[in-house]
Amino acid sequence: MRNEKKAPRGRYSVRFFLKQAFTSLWRNGVMSVASVAVLMSCLVVLGAFVLLVANLNKNLDNIAKLNVIMVFCDYDLEEGRAEEIESDIKKLSNVDKCVYISKEESLEKMKEESGDSGIYDDMTGENNPLCESFEVTYANDDETEVFNLEAELRAVEGVRKITSVYQTAKTIDEFKNGIMLVFTLFLLILFVVSLFVIINTIKLSVYARRHEITVMRYVGATNTFITLPFVFEGVIIGVTASIVAYVIEALLYTYISTTGIGDVAFVTMIEMSKIAVPLAAGFVLVGIITGVIGSVASLRKYLKS
Amino acid sequence: MIDFRNVKKSYPNGTSALDGVDLHVDDGEFVFIVGHSGAGKTTMMKLLLREEAATSGSIIVSGYNLTKIKNRDIPYYRRELGVVFQDFRLFPTKTVYENVAFAMQVVGTPRSMIKRRVPAILTTVNLADKMNAFPKELSGGEQQRVALARALANNPKIIIADEPTGNIDPRMSIEIMNLLMKINKLGKTVIVVTHDKNLVDYYKQRVVILDGGKIAEDRVGGMFS
Ligand SMILES: Nc1ncnc2c1ncn2[C@@H]1O[C@H](COP(=O)(O)OP(=O)(O)O)[C@@H](O)[C@H]1O
Ligand SMILES: [Mg+2]
Repeated sequence: MRNEKKAPRGRYSVRFFLKQAFTSLWRNGVMSVASVAVLMSCLVVLGAFVLLVANLNKNLDNIAKLNVIMVFCDYDLEEGRAEEIESDIKKLSNVDKCVYISKEESLEKMKEESGDSGIYDDMTGENNPLCESFEVTYANDDETEVFNLEAELRAVEGVRKITSVYQTAKTIDEFKNGIMLVFTLFLLILFVVSLFVIINTIKLSVYARRHEITVMRYVGATNTFITLPFVFEGVIIGVTASIVAYVIEALLYTYISTTGIGDVAFVTMIEMSKIAVPLAAGFVLVGIITGVIGSVASLRKYLKS
Repeated sequence: MIDFRNVKKSYPNGTSALDGVDLHVDDGEFVFIVGHSGAGKTTMMKLLLREEAATSGSIIVSGYNLTKIKNRDIPYYRRELGVVFQDFRLFPTKTVYENVAFAMQVVGTPRSMIKRRVPAILTTVNLADKMNAFPKELSGGEQQRVALARALANNPKIIIADEPTGNIDPRMSIEIMNLLMKINKLGKTVIVVTHDKNLVDYYKQRVVILDGGKIAEDRVGGMFS
């Protein structure tokens, strides 16, 4: 009895699979494009979401470590007023340190952060549009203590405004949790839709090839062999979508981080070069997984022996 | 070798198509299977192809026990068989050459081998000159010969033909039958399901008559001789 005998396992021809896959994609035309478009949108949203959270986390981390309140003085302070304000601040309880920052120092810092484009050159001396400020570090970061200190600082004579990173950090954190939930739901729906569209596209291909599949089965093609062209089709859709999504995402991100839309207060954005590789790898991975799931799901009923 | 032992087959809807079939076919034999419509002939072919599993009994073909075969071994078992259908099942958008080559491609045959073998097989079925024609440019008989070439492509031991002459005119039928005889002479086991009593009588081969899912007769030499 040779029941367990194995015929030689033939070679898989990638060329054959690719040809089958591209023929199907071409034949499905509109549906192929729709699949790519839907998956691509899904990936762009996913990418935006991940980048937003990554940036928030980075900034929240920085902020949380600071224990700092920035105090900005009136614009037209007389000579010597700054020292009085400083001593007033130092008298407050819960103040650990108070560092004076002159107009010139502020201008220097702005230049640094903007990469010195030269537009600040004529703002020196008399023309400096900035105000004197203090960086106040507090000792106790208990919420009510910080809140009290903020109120006391606002009440100091000559103080125009303060920016409390504490409040901002809290607000951003709450904001983050909120959008996490909304985005996760939104993403789930998008992925279900993408999968659905891909499955339908590949089902069309399977239907167009149903006679081929029958003949393949009669002449002894393995299920793997029958499935692979459709997996290739799904993967081509997935990879195309991920490449387009990556390009769009990278352009958007670079645009936002370089034009200063993202330069709100003390927020710093992660550099594009640091996120490029994980973003691209993530996209391609999600694209491939979606494509594979879509194609295997479409073929299930044809592969029962 | 094909061995059916007390094979019964009922379809899920309750129809009993085969009701205790015993049949033994040795390597290199030529067998006609005849019977009225609904006698169970196609069901026997489906069991042979392992498209359907027997409800009870045992089927052993070329060393494969079809009652115990694992799903993943079925494709390899099927490479032992070549099948021809009444309706040819050729691909209209592929040439004759491509139709035959397809059967080899999908079992992973190297390209160089395909290039060598397809013309040789087409010569066996006398179609070497129609290699680049499309099926619709061929007569029914010629199309069935392409299907036969495809069945032979992976060098199977057994050829199964379910009503191979059902869709072609009598003169062409002789041609197909002669080819099947020739293939049998080349050492392959050939099983032909047919309605055509004239053909069966003309060739004087072993005839198995199915009736109501049972073998009514099994003899050599045609039906009415
Ligand atoms: N897939 C099926 N489901 C239910 N009944 C079937 C199926 N295929 C065939 N039958 C029934 O089984 C019997 C034998 O059919 P078949 O093997 O096709 O006979 P033949 O090929 O000799 O005409 C018939 O009564 C037919 O109606
Ligand atoms: Mg039949």
